[in-house]
Amino acid sequence: MVRAILLILAVVFLAAAPFFGDAVMIQYGIDALLFATLAQAWNILGGFTGYASFGNSAFYGLGTYGTAIAMAQLHLPFWVGLSLGAFLAVLCAVVIGLPILRLRGHYFAIATLGLSATLAAIISNLDISGRNIGLILPLTRNDVGFYEEALALLVASTLTVMWIAKSRFGMGLIAIREDEDAAQVMGINTTFYKVVALMLSAFFTAIAGGIHAYWITFIDPASAFDLSLNVRMVIMAMFGGPGTVLGPVVGSFILSAVYDALASSISTAAALLFGMVIVLAVIFMPRGLWDLGHGLRQVGWRYFLQNIRLHRL
Amino acid sequence: MSAGAQPMLEARGLTRRFHGLYAVNDVSFTLQPGEILGLIGPNGAGKTTLINLISGTLFADQGELIFEDRRIERLHPYQRAHIGIGRTFQVMKPFPRLSVLENVTVGALFGFGGGERNRDKAREQARALLEFTGLDRRMDQNADQLGGPDRKRLELAKALAMRPKLLLLDEVMAGLNHVEVDEVVTIIKKIRDSGVTILVIEHVMRAIRSLSDRIIVLHHGEKIAEGLPDTVLADARVVEAYLGKRRA
Repeated sequence: MVRAILLILAVVFLAAAPFFGDAVMIQYGIDALLFATLAQAWNILGGFTGYASFGNSAFYGLGTYGTAIAMAQLHLPFWVGLSLGAFLAVLCAVVIGLPILRLRGHYFAIATLGLSATLAAIISNLDISGRNIGLILPLTRNDVGFYEEALALLVASTLTVMWIAKSRFGMGLIAIREDEDAAQVMGINTTFYKVVALMLSAFFTAIAGGIHAYWITFIDPASAFDLSLNVRMVIMAMFGGPGTVLGPVVGSFILSAVYDALASSISTAAALLFGMVIVLAVIFMPRGLWDLGHGLRQVGWRYFLQNIRLHRL
Repeated sequence: MSAGAQPMLEARGLTRRFHGLYAVNDVSFTLQPGEILGLIGPNGAGKTTLINLISGTLFADQGELIFEDRRIERLHPYQRAHIGIGRTFQVMKPFPRLSVLENVTVGALFGFGGGERNRDKAREQARALLEFTGLDRRMDQNADQLGGPDRKRLELAKALAMRPKLLLLDEVMAGLNHVEVDEVVTIIKKIRDSGVTILVIEHVMRAIRSLSDRIIVLHHGEKIAEGLPDTVLADARVVEAYLGKRRA
């Protein structure tokens, strides 16, 4: 109950923030909220279901292009563009998911790796998507509006993850993560569960891509299907705590803040940040901030030693 | 078993090859409702493969499986769970980072008939089963913290939570001491008395003899004997399969 009230207060605070901050802070805020959504969406499949996807940047790109094509080429309203982008991404999740979700562990990760490059190549050769030059969306100067949309999306994705964490559906996903063979013989339709998880992940990722496209107004295949974006989702979710409700959000807020602070002072250090974070996190806190909190309370600093022994030496 | 009774499970000519090697070769048998059927044989005889074929973890290359009047050999494992087939794994498969209670709750949430939809009710069912299997004091521990015997109990509790009609037990007594074996034998008899049909693989002969109504013996993937425990265990071919041929 206390937790629920704190969360609502946090959301109210975040919603009110742009009315007090300056223009640059709002832009940082939009970025941070969209990244948190991406990390949260990745968390549904990577954190709860145990399938590390590198195909989410493809869903992001489809969301981006769906919105851009609808608005720039077909002159349709923004919400139609978002829907088109989300539809394309979810469709892609089903079509791609059915065959490659048969692969497990590293094989799945590698199979998804090629997805965004493939889609970028296709998009670069279609007239309707502006080939490899890209598309320019109608300009709207309403950063507060984009900020609130991004926040609403983050809240929606987090509520979805909250439901997953408490529901029978989510228990099925977690069982798949823990042992897929056991999950199957216990009566879980693993294919169906995994595909739905991928669809949910694709949906939120695509909407985030669509909002970003309209906000940034110019997109091209290289930026829309950028694999490094996927790497950031993974790092943010892993850093915060994969398979937890709030870990990915908190993790990505912290990393976004550190990144933006570094980028404006020492830009080379910013470039190193995500690499450093993943190395340190894997060694010292492989289950993320959330588990770190528990561990420190229970065994203090020995938590780090335990992880080093458990996973390295 | 009365003649003409509707069998719970019937296997006809089940065959499964791995790269040309017959793991299970033309095996047929029936399981009557309420029966405990022992499945024995030397290492590599195909016992676990046979259980995998019944639970759907593996598909048969040939042969038919009939469960309560229904052909099931093409059904997916989860569909077989829904119609009432539950199993344990010899190489135990707990959900390592979930608590013992959550592990068993998964069985109740899915399992027979698709399982209990309500997570709280499922948890209550799981709690009762943990008492039944003597795991209630370990309820809140993570499954990967359990020792060997408790892991065996957890396998059993997870399968039971599915409310199966047919329970396939793959060496749930391996590695247990005498006292623990007797405990598990008692538990299995209680499960049968509650109306569950059981197919049990076991190497602990004392246990299989006291549990089984009938025994079938596999050797090199083929069924070489079937019948009452004392008859089968005295059969020359069975002794030979286990101990090798006596040389003159």
